[in-house]
Amino acid sequence: MLGVAVGSVPISPGSALRLVAWKLGLAERPDVPRSTEVILFQLRLPRVALAVSVGLALAIAGTLFQGLFRNPLADPAIVGVSSGAALGAIAVIVAGGGALFGGLGVSLAAFVGGSVTAFFVYRLARVGPAVSVGTLLLAGIAVAAVISAVMSVVMSFAGEDIRSIYFWLLGGLSARGWTAVQVVGPLVLLGVAGAVMLIRDLNLVSLGEERAAQLGIDVDRFKWQAVAVGALLAGAAVSVSGVIGFVGLMTPHVMRLVVGSDHRRLLPAVILAGPMFLVLADLVSRVAIAPQELPLGAVTALVGGPFFLFLLRRERRRASARA
Amino acid sequence: MPDPAALALEHVTSGYGDLTVLRDVSVEVARGEVVGLVGPNGSGKTTLVRVASRALPPSAGSIRLGGLDPYGLSAREAARLVAVVPQDVTPAFSFTVLETVLMGRTPYLSALGGGGPQDWARARAAMAATEVQHLGDRPVEELSGGERRRVILAQALAQDAPLLLLDEPTTHLDIRHMLDVLAIVRRLAERERTAVLAIHHDLNLAAATCDRLIALHRGEVVAAGPPEAVVTSELLRGVYGVDADVSPDETTGRPTVRLAVPAEAAARLGRRAHVVGGAGRGARIMRMLAEAGYDVSVGVLHASDTDANAAERLNLLRVSVPPFSHIDAEAEDAARSMIREADALVVCDAPFGPGNVANLRLALEAAAAGVRTVLLEQVPIEERDFTGGEATALWSELRALARSVGSYEELAFELR
Repeated sequence: MLGVAVGSVPISPGSALRLVAWKLGLAERPDVPRSTEVILFQLRLPRVALAVSVGLALAIAGTLFQGLFRNPLADPAIVGVSSGAALGAIAVIVAGGGALFGGLGVSLAAFVGGSVTAFFVYRLARVGPAVSVGTLLLAGIAVAAVISAVMSVVMSFAGEDIRSIYFWLLGGLSARGWTAVQVVGPLVLLGVAGAVMLIRDLNLVSLGEERAAQLGIDVDRFKWQAVAVGALLAGAAVSVSGVIGFVGLMTPHVMRLVVGSDHRRLLPAVILAGPMFLVLADLVSRVAIAPQELPLGAVTALVGGPFFLFLLRRERRRASARA
Repeated sequence: MPDPAALALEHVTSGYGDLTVLRDVSVEVARGEVVGLVGPNGSGKTTLVRVASRALPPSAGSIRLGGLDPYGLSAREAARLVAVVPQDVTPAFSFTVLETVLMGRTPYLSALGGGGPQDWARARAAMAATEVQHLGDRPVEELSGGERRRVILAQALAQDAPLLLLDEPTTHLDIRHMLDVLAIVRRLAERERTAVLAIHHDLNLAAATCDRLIALHRGEVVAAGPPEAVVTSELLRGVYGVDADVSPDETTGRPTVRLAVPAEAAARLGRRAHVVGGAGRGARIMRMLAEAGYDVSVGVLHASDTDANAAERLNLLRVSVPPFSHIDAEAEDAARSMIREADALVVCDAPFGPGNVANLRLALEAAAAGVRTVLLEQVPIEERDFTGGEATALWSELRALARSVGSYEELAFELR
């Protein structure tokens, strides 16, 4: 709501609601300037919707990967999705294909780059039918390192495009419009549904793979599904917003401190918190130095980092008081 | 038709890659039976449990759980046939005890289901059985090792499987919890007719609590049957490479193992040391000296005293008198001649009373005659003088003639 209201041109929540009601044919057109209507429907709403989708996707992907890798430091970047997507995007920008498919060329390339990388990393880590989570982690890191090297090479040919590349690398949601939402929305919904199906087993896998198998989980299938769903979500998010760090790492953590580690409670909490966090962060990025915009990725780290540290310290103190 | 065995391995061979760990192993566990799996480290015990729990397919032979091949079933179906209690489980994230135990119900839940009243009832019952119900809301990582072990046991019990596999269920548990866990397992076998296969390191515990034992060595079954047929000194020598006495327990009749000195042959020094001990103060010194290659003689001791038993087990030259009696002239002479032949005399800080104060007189006599004498003095003589001063007087005379040490290290240095 706040995300819709605040901006260079303020729109009161009341008029925003009335405008939406009018659009849906539920009410008379309210007495607001035509410009307000355009700003609301063409700029604010799609942007908020996009922030919601991306926040949702990153936070859920983070939850999945942290559970799967049994590692609280895992984030959506871990299987190379982010770097693969970035490479795809940059390659298209440098090749001058940014305007393809109605401006979605970069997004498309990013999504393909991310998915292909995740698949490649997964194959790399596979020995026979089993994938060792440790190997997966290492393969992801190694592939990401190679990709960022390639990225540097590509960027040295960038010339004029370097600004848009940097902007993309820092992440942002500006001026994407409804098309991006239409592309990403369904993918994210698909991913959320997939995550919901996996959530119970995620609890068991965090006890260790062998224990999960003893309790009746088909661990190999689970790993494949979790990586696929996580990569889908992360790829979808990165493709429209660029690389936004910290949401996927932090949201599950913070929510774990609030609702506990049971993924059946954690996932709903993350579904609420991820979008909220990103909408707020986007709001800050828009208004902090308005009419200029801060890079969204920088905002998430600046806002999220200290807050996370605060929670962590508080939790530690409580744990030591209990012990 | 009789029930098919809860677990039946027939001629199973299995391993990791090119490494064969189990060779042609056949094992059967029936409902209601508690079977112990014993064998030295690396003998294939854990591998056998992994094969039976659908974690490691056999490369040859067949495995049946209640008549079904687990590798032909889904993980979920197999988890209703066999539950495993691993040595330890460390969750990556913080779960409460109740959440953890409820996970044991997974094989009965749909992908989204959180569990019905029946699942909760089963989880609660399992927690009651292992006495962790009061811990329900506590995070598992805050529990002690023994409590965590019982939580994992409850998790496995909640699985309601007819076969329970335990991987060293009692390691890291104190004596009470060790016995509790084994009692729970026994009750399960009797009431639910659960078939139990448990890996045990402690042969005495295995013999005391299992109906049958199976001994593995280098991946093969080397003995199987009732405890008294499996736990024998032959098995201990052949499989574990140790010499040990096995005798029936006085109350249960189950075999009990008593370990002797490690079989490593110390190079003989050709020197004799005599130890004056008592009440267990000499046992460690005797072993130390024997391992260092001394010929050791001991005495005069009271029969059935800890030191006397130790001397007997170490098979040392010894002289003793009946319990609670005074040292008689005959024993005194025997000890005197032993000391005369000794290159060194060690007098331990044993308690001295009217029954054994004669030992101190013997020691003083020898020290005065020039026998090299060492006193171990960790406990002051005043605290172990039950003669009303005689022992203290003798001890201070001895101290004037002998070397006095305060630790085993010093003693070893003195006698090297």
